Amino acid sequence: MSLQILPRGRWVGARVKRVEDPRFLTGEARYLADIQIPGTVHAAFVRSPYGHARIRRIDTSAARTVPGVLGVFTADDVAVLPPLASGLPIEGLKPTPQSVLAKEKVRFVGEAVAVVVAENRYVAEDAAELVEVDYEPLPAVTDAERAMAADAPLLHEDLGTNIVYQKTTTLGDIDAAFAQADRVFRRRFHTNRFVAAPMETRGCLSVYERASGQLTFYSSTQMPHMLRLFLALFLGIPEHKVRVISPEVGGAFGQKMTIYPEEVVIAYLGKVLGRPVKWVEDRRENLAAATHAKEQIIELEAAVRSDGKVLGLKARLIGDGGAYSFNTASALIEPLAAAGIIPGVYDIRAYQHEVIAVCTNKSPVGAFRAVGWTAAQTARELFFDEIARELGLDPAEFRRRNVITSDQFPYTTMTGMVYDSGSYRESLERALELVGYDELRRRQAELRQQGRYLGVGISLYVEPTAWGSEIALQAGFPFPSHDNATVTIDPTGKVRVAVSVHSHGQGHETTLAQVAAEILGVSIDDVVVEHGDTDRAPWGMGTYASRSAVIGGGMVALAAQEVREKLLRVASRLLEVAPEDLDIQDGTVFVKGAPDRSLSLFQVAFAAYLDGRVRAEGEEPLLSATKFYDPRATYSNGCLVTVCEVDSETGLVHLEKIVAVEDCGTMLNPMIVEGQVMGAIAQGIGGALYEAMIYDENGQLLTDTFLSYALPTATEVPELIIEHLETPSPVTIGGIKGIGEGGLLATPAAVAGAVLDAIWPAGRTIEQLPLTPERVLSALTAETGA
Amino acid sequence: MERVPITVTVNGQTVSAEVEPRMTLADFLRDELGLTGTKLGCEHGVCGSCTVLWDGAAVRSCLVLAAQADGAAITTIEGLATEGQLHPVQQAFWEAHALQCGFCTPGMILTAVALLSEDANPSEQAIREALSGNLCRCTGYQNIVRAVQLAAERLRSSS
Ligand code: FES
Ligand code: FES
Repeated sequence: MSLQILPRGRWVGARVKRVEDPRFLTGEARYLADIQIPGTVHAAFVRSPYGHARIRRIDTSAARTVPGVLGVFTADDVAVLPPLASGLPIEGLKPTPQSVLAKEKVRFVGEAVAVVVAENRYVAEDAAELVEVDYEPLPAVTDAERAMAADAPLLHEDLGTNIVYQKTTTLGDIDAAFAQADRVFRRRFHTNRFVAAPMETRGCLSVYERASGQLTFYSSTQMPHMLRLFLALFLGIPEHKVRVISPEVGGAFGQKMTIYPEEVVIAYLGKVLGRPVKWVEDRRENLAAATHAKEQIIELEAAVRSDGKVLGLKARLIGDGGAYSFNTASALIEPLAAAGIIPGVYDIRAYQHEVIAVCTNKSPVGAFRAVGWTAAQTARELFFDEIARELGLDPAEFRRRNVITSDQFPYTTMTGMVYDSGSYRESLERALELVGYDELRRRQAELRQQGRYLGVGISLYVEPTAWGSEIALQAGFPFPSHDNATVTIDPTGKVRVAVSVHSHGQGHETTLAQVAAEILGVSIDDVVVEHGDTDRAPWGMGTYASRSAVIGGGMVALAAQEVREKLLRVASRLLEVAPEDLDIQDGTVFVKGAPDRSLSLFQVAFAAYLDGRVRAEGEEPLLSATKFYDPRATYSNGCLVTVCEVDSETGLVHLEKIVAVEDCGTMLNPMIVEGQVMGAIAQGIGGALYEAMIYDENGQLLTDTFLSYALPTATEVPELIIEHLETPSPVTIGGIKGIGEGGLLATPAAVAGAVLDAIWPAGRTIEQLPLTPERVLSALTAETGA
Repeated sequence: MERVPITVTVNGQTVSAEVEPRMTLADFLRDELGLTGTKLGCEHGVCGSCTVLWDGAAVRSCLVLAAQADGAAITTIEGLATEGQLHPVQQAFWEAHALQCGFCTPGMILTAVALLSEDANPSEQAIREALSGNLCRCTGYQNIVRAVQLAAERLRSSS
């Protein structure tokens, strides 16, 4: 069986209901906070109320006397723990080591300064309030451009600057492009700082057995094996004595792929206290101290011919990295990823980018779905809309004139990304057709006559997926990235699939079981998928960057295929035919063309394990295979079109609908693909219209509750119309491409684009998201001079 | 601290306990009774993850004290399925793929149950408004709305 194209059959490609759902529907699913181990004590962190301050003294004496308190710990008490630092081997990137509890200085509101452990959470929090920290407030800097000034307050004095990275790269003949241009356009964008805000906050539970020296660490993490590796190194516990279990995880979206200081501290306290220590973050802490995302200042300059052809682009990308260039990713995570994707789906042959990463007195920036790409897509698509209108071209037509066409694949971009396949132009045309574009333009003109503001926004995108080593390199992050699956048929013919990719809502227990079931010819009910426990799953990187369908699907297919071959060898001896003449369906192995000559999977598997006669010299009884997969780079694509109406009295935006045409190659389960797309779109609506982390100039965080930081609710998300195109990847197993991020990558551009389209030409004056009613109104009144 | 005696009916069972006056109903259900299906997403009354039914009405269990529940009948997500048979709302959530990470799901389901007990045939807008106090970060809500519509239809045709 060739794995190039996965067999489409009973399971692969079907809308299979999720096998994991019953435990979630009935409340039986256990998330971190739900794990109750006898003897557990509870931690509460004391956090900085200042954006920038020197710590003069910490007095823990009052807190220590509270009945039920086991201990209060500060940086001095955990001095054996090394600081966290970015491990990325990128030349010119300055490290900013972070003490796991703040030492000498605090650099953002919410930074952990001390931790109290007590018999219960209520007591721990009472005592935490009694910890007295004497701070000397320092001037703060919360704006990335101001932080670059020579006289700006320094976060890390020893660096002598807040700029941790700065590099200009020129690709192609940029001077010629600008010399040949009929028009040159410029625009500055400041994309908003918003956050993953998973409904489950962070949390962990450290259980240490002194007698055996074994640490079992439960954490709401996306990458159990990576966390195990780091904990072993940080705590000096041999790796084979560390087990990380990630129970059910209530959403992550990238926020839980960091090794957090709190995790290291709690793991350590479990060891020193000899009691299970549990920490469950509250929402304030999550908003203040878990990683933030997506804030960049992007300046674009385009060299354009009067027919609309873009000859060259220049970009200056300043990533506002927050207080530390954070450990698993660094402050480059946003601007460097953005720089790579600025050309996007467009055929642009000259490009220059300057990437800058800066520290500011805000929570560190980390991954959040479509890292860097959301900001890049938003800036470029809004810029292109503006250029199109200035040239008197329809934004759709402008895109047609620049988009990479299907005869150009494989297409290597100026930044070294190799687009393997796709339907860029096709997705644009299909989305326009679905939304009824021409009719909308007519309606728009009519409504304008009546003083009403209808707008249409287009966002045409490419999404790097299959985060293996190759795409990581193409995206600018040279770090190996691969995973493993073990597929086993047990003696009764039931199938176990153990995988290193982790599920926190993606439904892997279903999709990966679909792959195994298809290849092994069994029912999905006879397959179980295990993940999230380093003692049960083989080593791997975890789940992030839309990698799990491609890598997970691929590695399960490879391992299942090998097990299938083993099984058929055994069956061939039992049935006395060649293995090639056998097939498996519905759990029955049979001779092709003579289906009555058959054996059940049970019979074959049982014999493989327990009847030595069916085993040839040198063969193993175990029907099991472990396979790794590090796929070639592949790229999904799609087009979003948003329709909205803006109320010119209030500035409120009413979204009418969003059409999303996406192409992620071979789909394992369209229902799950649609779920990913819809969820990401809703997050993008938040990013375009509502969500922003706001700091004042002193570094105070003004948005630390779900009242001040507003997520979209069911009434803010309009009708979503999803349609699939399917261009299988020629380079991945089964032709699968990932799909996790496209929605959030593309939606802010489509939504903001629709708003700006509605109020054009007023929208030119808006360069900052989200498009709050105030911003929309002030753009409108500036234009009309009212 | 002085403890307060309470008697509550939880999922049809009568429970008597002595609770700290400041203990929330959510913590009582989760930590004292081990009913961890009730989730805490914000603990400040915004996300709806902690929704339970209090004499049939949807209530945020992070905002009320256990002591206040004296004499009340509480239904949590654990009490919804009967004899291994999913409640029609649970079944519809499953079929419509109305959950991903599942963290908001208990609160969503109980909110939907409360809505359908008051309005057997809600419009899409009414469903969206009823759910607008429950945050979901995974699904984009569309499938949740579809699930509630599906459950409403089935409940109507079975009654
Ligand atoms: S936990 Fe009660 S409303 Fe959020
Ligand atoms: S399913 Fe994850 S928050 Fe709703």
